[in-house]
Amino acid sequence: MYEEARDSIRRFILFTLPLISLVLIWQAVCSLDLIKMLPSPLEVAKTLLRLSFQTQGGWPVLALHLSRSLLRVGAGFALAMVAGIAVGLLMGTNRYADFLLRPIFSVLLPVPTLAWVPILLIWTGTGDDTIIIAIFLGGFFSIAYNTATGVRSIDRDLILAAKTMGATRWTLFTRVLLPGSMVPVLAGLRLAVGYSWRALVGAEMLAAAGWGLGYLVFAARAFMAVNVMFAGLITIMATGYIMENLLVGSLEKRTVKKWGMIRI
Amino acid sequence: MKSGLNNRYLRSALSFVVPLLLVGCIWEAVSRSGLVKPVLLPPPSVVFPRIAYLFAARTADGQSVLLKHIVTSLYRLLIGFSTGAALGVGLGLAMGSNRFIYGYFNPIISILMPVPGITWAPILVLILGFGDPTLVTVTFIASFFPVVYNTCSGARSVERDLLLAAKIMGASRSTVFFRVLLPSSAPQLITGLKLGLARGWRTLIAVEMIASALWGLGYMIFDAKEYLRTDIIYGGIIVMAVIFAVLEKTVFGYVEGKTIEKWGMASQIV
Repeated sequence: MYEEARDSIRRFILFTLPLISLVLIWQAVCSLDLIKMLPSPLEVAKTLLRLSFQTQGGWPVLALHLSRSLLRVGAGFALAMVAGIAVGLLMGTNRYADFLLRPIFSVLLPVPTLAWVPILLIWTGTGDDTIIIAIFLGGFFSIAYNTATGVRSIDRDLILAAKTMGATRWTLFTRVLLPGSMVPVLAGLRLAVGYSWRALVGAEMLAAAGWGLGYLVFAARAFMAVNVMFAGLITIMATGYIMENLLVGSLEKRTVKKWGMIRI
Repeated sequence: MKSGLNNRYLRSALSFVVPLLLVGCIWEAVSRSGLVKPVLLPPPSVVFPRIAYLFAARTADGQSVLLKHIVTSLYRLLIGFSTGAALGVGLGLAMGSNRFIYGYFNPIISILMPVPGITWAPILVLILGFGDPTLVTVTFIASFFPVVYNTCSGARSVERDLLLAAKIMGASRSTVFFRVLLPSSAPQLITGLKLGLARGWRTLIAVEMIASALWGLGYMIFDAKEYLRTDIIYGGIIVMAVIFAVLEKTVFGYVEGKTIEKWGMASQIV
């Protein structure tokens, strides 16, 4: 117990030391005035504090931006996950669906997500709809594609064995297809979290009206408020880090690592 | 035998083209039927001639308009990606072979990696101004992280036994590096380069919309939005899909054929 605590403290220190050194370098660059417009870490920290304590309508400004962004990314990603896994399973289990959809997906996959935004702006205008659809498009293709690949890679014998022993379609789905394709499905989800997050920030710059982290950074440019831009960047960084490592990481720990499908 | 081979190619080509043609027909039917306003969804019979028209149209200095947009974007991608990839591979291999370098850079990279490249765009616009320097720098940032991350994890997963075996048999440091470390980490390194190119491309197109610079595919479609020219936007999206597919197939098909496929290492699917 004691050993464990000491170990995790040690790891924490080893993780933060390089980051502290980076902040020191940043401070040095500012003190020497090497890059014009670059705010010092201290100023950015002050701005970050100001944004988190200054309230508007009873809520801290930063929390309002953050919660709006999280709601959008949550909605868009949830839609992408449901639709992506459904379409992926359909493609994985049905030959005709796979025949029809695979070429279409392979054509649409390399299209940058944000290239859809100009079209969406014409279809749905600025605001939540456009941003959520952009996030959905960012995640959907990679989830569907990887789920389809995952289901295809399941050992045919397992499916036949389950069928022979009288498994219903539902049992087959929940007990064989879903767990069997979990490694690629999670790989797809992990990629999709990144894509959705990127789509969110970009779409908020192009289409947001009033709130959101991407909007915060983008709008600050008009006022040359570099402090606010860096404060927004740091919030985006921290949120992205938490989402990618803690969320997806813990999902992996609960499923594929527990089932012994991947090591590490 | 020969005809069997041809038959297989023909079949795989057909199974690729037929669904796309089907989608094209449905698209044409939907937009002709008036279910959707033609402004929102112009039919393919309008979009494809528009692409041809853009290709044929000339700028003031006599270049093809579409080609100039494409070449400008690709040029930015080339510079941003190649510098990002070079630095990423270099640092990734250094991190993979040295514990201290890894210990120092790993926290920094893992905390900066989830920042979408586009976030840097407004900041860089203030520091570097609109145009190529900003666009190339953002592309560089976007390409760098996937490359360094994958190269490093590839180099770290090299079997210790292989390294020790090479060392015992008297291999010099450079032999170990070029003959063991680099080839063993090649599959993941190439995966990283692929991801880096894709990430750089996506980010570049997006930033071209924000830090408008008069040329580039991202600028082309965002500018078309101002005039409700959906035919140009759809055309641009199709052009982007084709260009990137060709780029990825030719560049990485060639590189993989020369390296990991020849060595019998399977390439990972991304």
